[in-house]
Parts: sequence; structure tokens; C-alpha cells
Amino acid sequence: MATTVQIFTIIGILCTPMISIAALVLTLAALNLSLGVRSLYVKLLGLVFDYATKIKQDKELSNDPDVSTDESSSVPSHTTKSTKTSAPPIVEKSDDDPIEITSQTPLISDSSRKIDDEDKSQELITTDQDQKVTRSSSQSDIQFKLGDIMHFTRQGLEAIVDDEVTKRFTSAEEMAVWNLLTRTQQQHEYFSARITLLWFLGFCVRYFLLFPFRLCLFILAILWMLGSAVFLKYFPKRDAKLRYGFYINIVLHRILSRVFSAIITYHNTEYRAKCGSICVANHTSPIDVIILSTDNSFSMIGQKHGGFFGMVQRTLSNTANHIWFERSETKDRHMVAEKMREHIKVENNLPILIFPEGTCINNTSVMMFKKGCFEITEAPIYPVAIKYDNRFGDAFWNSTKHDLFQYLILMMTSWAIVVDVYYLPPMTIEKDETSIDFARRVKAAIAKQGGFVDLEWDGGLKRALPKADFKAEEQRKFYEMLKTE
Amino acid sequence: MGTNNSTLLPHDQAHLISAETGFSPKQLQRLYTRFQGLDKRKPPSGYLTREDLLEIREVALNPLGQRLVDVMIQDHGNANRIDFRQFAAILARFRRGKPTNELNAKEKKLLFLFSMYDRNHDSEIDRNELLDILKLMVGGNIHDEQLGTIADHTIEELDADGDLTITFEEFCKTLENIDVDEKMSMKFLN
Repeated sequence: MATTVQIFTIIGILCTPMISIAALVLTLAALNLSLGVRSLYVKLLGLVFDYATKIKQDKELSNDPDVSTDESSSVPSHTTKSTKTSAPPIVEKSDDDPIEITSQTPLISDSSRKIDDEDKSQELITTDQDQKVTRSSSQSDIQFKLGDIMHFTRQGLEAIVDDEVTKRFTSAEEMAVWNLLTRTQQQHEYFSARITLLWFLGFCVRYFLLFPFRLCLFILAILWMLGSAVFLKYFPKRDAKLRYGFYINIVLHRILSRVFSAIITYHNTEYRAKCGSICVANHTSPIDVIILSTDNSFSMIGQKHGGFFGMVQRTLSNTANHIWFERSETKDRHMVAEKMREHIKVENNLPILIFPEGTCINNTSVMMFKKGCFEITEAPIYPVAIKYDNRFGDAFWNSTKHDLFQYLILMMTSWAIVVDVYYLPPMTIEKDETSIDFARRVKAAIAKQGGFVDLEWDGGLKRALPKADFKAEEQRKFYEMLKTE
Repeated sequence: MGTNNSTLLPHDQAHLISAETGFSPKQLQRLYTRFQGLDKRKPPSGYLTREDLLEIREVALNPLGQRLVDVMIQDHGNANRIDFRQFAAILARFRRGKPTNELNAKEKKLLFLFSMYDRNHDSEIDRNELLDILKLMVGGNIHDEQLGTIADHTIEELDADGDLTITFEEFCKTLENIDVDEKMSMKFLN
């Protein structure tokens, strides 16, 4: 008897901090306040990382005396910049540019585009200098020079050293500032005892301190969701349901954002998506939805799943009108578009959230937007650029490397997710503009705001090989070039 | 897609290859990371095959992609395998910078380009080899007969000794006026 009482008191003592924190979080989420704990935490971490980097660099300098000192002196100035710097452009870098050391530095400077024009002018000059240009009278006047293979050969070599596509589907490369997560460090080199100790401390903090709390909050979020489902059943009237549903949704996502220690900064909130519109954003991870939903409620659109996720979908359907499809219907683009149009027509229906890339990209670029949702001309499009700061945790979901569950665990054991959300002014399709051009225009706007590289590659390239048409296109371009000489 | 578990190039190997190729140790390490990224076998095998290189999308799309990979693997590797040292050696030829150890001298670049044509390694480019390249580059945009005429013209113009093939000397002569060094150099960043 005494022992059970003891056991209960022990459990009670252990759980009190958890429960009190949970209650605190709930209140904060409901009232949309923040104690500023997370920002402070992030600042502290920043200082720790700078310290670790300094140790690493001192070690490097002592190992390799040829390393130029201006490289090391330029790095600290970069790390003290605010977390809101947008990524520098990736093309055309010279190796004395100090900013380039963070994510995605190219291995070679991409001067192929410049060389193209030089190529042409060179060829023209040599053609003029070639005296004996005998042209066949019957056939075309195409002259082939042996040097013409240089263009493709060089491009091929450049692609072998570094290609645009692989760069986008792998996590961003080594960072100048190591954030004490071995998963981001390319090479596990033993630098010094101090760093290893720091790393070990970090590991303990992340897995044994932060993770349990986050797990608690996650359970809280689930309870909230279930509770709200029950609560909403008492409101048979649709409008009342939707009104409460809006706030319930936002609170749910605020709790979830604390699960990942997300620090979100919104810009231009006057362009928040309104009812009866379509919201379009670049896709980096499943967490994107949570991040966007802390500020605004959306209607989701997607396939009906079974199991746990299906239950989630059904519960969410209580809070707002979402568009869920049977698996077979997703292939039917017309039906999808129809359902979207119906949704938009109904007043007070939430904006539809869509990720036109179709897959997760690693937040350094935007890939081709699928034109499907851009064909719906009745609704304005509100573009949103989501930019993650990699220093505290890499949010990119590489679905070929981790499945969803692993990914979530990784996220919950990262330091934090720091993200900038930029709302952009609404855009509508212009007269005589095709949906493909419109999609491109929106993509360019998002790329510009977020500092991403704007690529025409299809996100589907992650898994499939390019179509033969691309090659034929290259051949055709070469043929045209030959003709114009 | 891309491995996060790349290892460091062992110091002695790094110094050896750096001396051979003229790459700095940092450049070499980055190349090594790239090499490992392309080697998708588990456990990593330490060499690349033709298929590995053709997996790169931009290489597969390139009309001369397969030919380029063939030259690299057949002429500079052994039995469909190329190890890192050989890999670095070929790329070193195209490194922008002062010729060190003559590896990135103009002649080496020209030899590489010549071997893009000359697949039977008889040190001459004959009509068939020229036709092969032409076909690869323009695909279906030009008819075969027209291609044949173009090939004949080219040989006619450039063949100084009248044997209807283009030797390496004739090849170099025709590229004399073009700055091959400039066009075929890549700047490797640190």
C-alpha cells in the first residue's frame, strides 16, 4: 500500500513539470503570445556555434598553414549577421567571395553561359578567316568544324564535377559554422576534445532534455485535436462549426510549432491569403503546412489516407472544409480542378493551400511548378516564400533517405527550426497569358523574394530519368547554331 | 541521392594526387566528396563505372554525354572502372590555371578532344568516326546523306596529306586559331 502511494507521488513529481509546461504552452498558443524563450535559446545557441567554429578553425590553421587567413576572418563576420539573410545567388561566384561558404557552394564556377556567346563570336571569326569555304551547291550551307565538340564536351565535364539537379535534392553541404549536429557534418574529423565534448553535451541536451518535452507537447497536440473533434460535435450548425474550427486549427498548429521549436517570422502580413483564393508556396518539408497554418487557416487538398493519417484527415474535416480525394480520382485533373472551383465559389471557404512543385526540394531553389492550379482563373493566387535557416536544423525531407517517421524524430531532436515566411502580393493570370507562363511568373516572384535559384527542372527528376525529348532538344539547338554560322 | 557519410581523403594519397594534378588539397577534398557522392554502392566501392557517370541527369541529356563517359572510362580507367586518382587526373587536364606538371597543358586537352572522335585508337579520324560524332550532335535534324556530305567536306578541307583521314597534327592545326585552353578550362573553386 505504502509503495503504491510512493510510486504515485514519484510519478506526480516527475510529471508536474511536464504538465505545467503543457498548460503554459496551451495558454500561450491560445492567446498567441510568446515568452521569447525560443528566441533567447536560439541566440545562445548561435554563440555556442561560433565558439565551436573558432576552435575548428584554429585547429585547421595549425594543421594546414597554407589556408588563407582572409577566409577565416571573413567567416565570423558572416555568422554575426542576423538569421534573416537570404541565400546568396549560386551562379557565377568567384572564389574570393566570402559569403559563399554556406549552403551549396558550387565546385566550379559556372561560366558556361558566358562562354556560349564567346563561342559563337569565336566561331564566326574563324569562319571568316577560313579561306577555302567551299559550299556544296545543292545541299545546305552547313559547315562543321572539329572544334564544335568543345561546347558539349565542356558542359559534360562540368556536369560530372557538379550538376544542378543533384545539388537540389541533397541536404545543403558543409557549413562554415558547424551546428554540433553530426548529421550535417560531411566529414567526421576529430578536431579537438573540446568540440567532441560540446557535441556530446549537445547530444544529451537534445535527446534527453528537449526530446521528451517535445514528445509531451506532441501528445498534447493530439489530445487537443481529439478533444476539439468531440467538442465540435455539439455544434450541428455548419457556420458555428467553421467559426470555432478556424481558431481551433490555429491553436493546434501553434502547439505543433512549439513541438519543433519553430521560430517563425512573418513578413508582409497584409498579403495574407484571403477566403476564396489559392495559396501557393515552395515545398521543403511536411512541416511547411504547420508553419503556414500558425498564422492563417487553410483548406488542404490531397488524397484520402487510411489508418492514423486518415483519422487525422477526418478530424481536420470537422474544423474546416478540406478537399480529400479517393486515390483513383487524383489522376483525373479535370475533376480536381472542378472540385477546387466549387470550393472557391462557396463564400467563407478557406484559401486552398497548394505546393506546385509536387515534391520536397532542399530550400536552395524552386523547381518547375505544375500548371494544374494555375489554370483556375477565378481565384487570385497568393504566393508565399518559405525560407529556412539551416543553422539550427535542416528541415529538408529527403524522402529517398528517411521515411516520415524517421524524419519527424530527426526534426524533434534538432536544435530548432528557424524560418522566414514572406507573403507576396496576390497575382492573377493576365489576358493572353498561358497557365504555364503564369506559373513561371509566380515561381520567379517566389524565387526572387526567398533568394532561391529559379530552375526549370521538374521536381519529378528526383526519381525518374529525363525524357528523351530533352536530348533531342539539345541536338536541335546545336543544329540551329550550325545553321546560323 | 547524395550521401552524408563521405570520408576524408587519406593525407598521403591527398598529397600524392595533389602533386600529380595540381589541385589544392581543399579542391581535391571537394572533388573526393563529389566522387563519393557519385559512387552509390553500399559499401562504397572506391571506383565509378560508366553507368554511375551516366546517372547524372545533365550528362545523360548531353548529346555527347555517352561519348564523353566512354573516353573517360575506356581511355583513362580499367575495365569499366575509374578510381579517384584517375578521375582527378582527367579533370586536372581542364583545370584553369598555369600548366603544372604539364597535365593541363593545351596538348593534353587536344588529345582528349581527339580521342572523343578517334574511338578505334588508330590515331586518325576517319569518315565513319566523324559521321558518328555528327550524328550524336544533331540527331535527327539532318539527313544521313547530308551528314555524309558534311563529313566529306570537313575531311577534304582539313586533310593535308590526302589520305582521307585526319591525323592528330591536322587536328591540332585546325584548332590553332581557337583558344582551346580558354574554352576547355574550368575554374575549380575552393
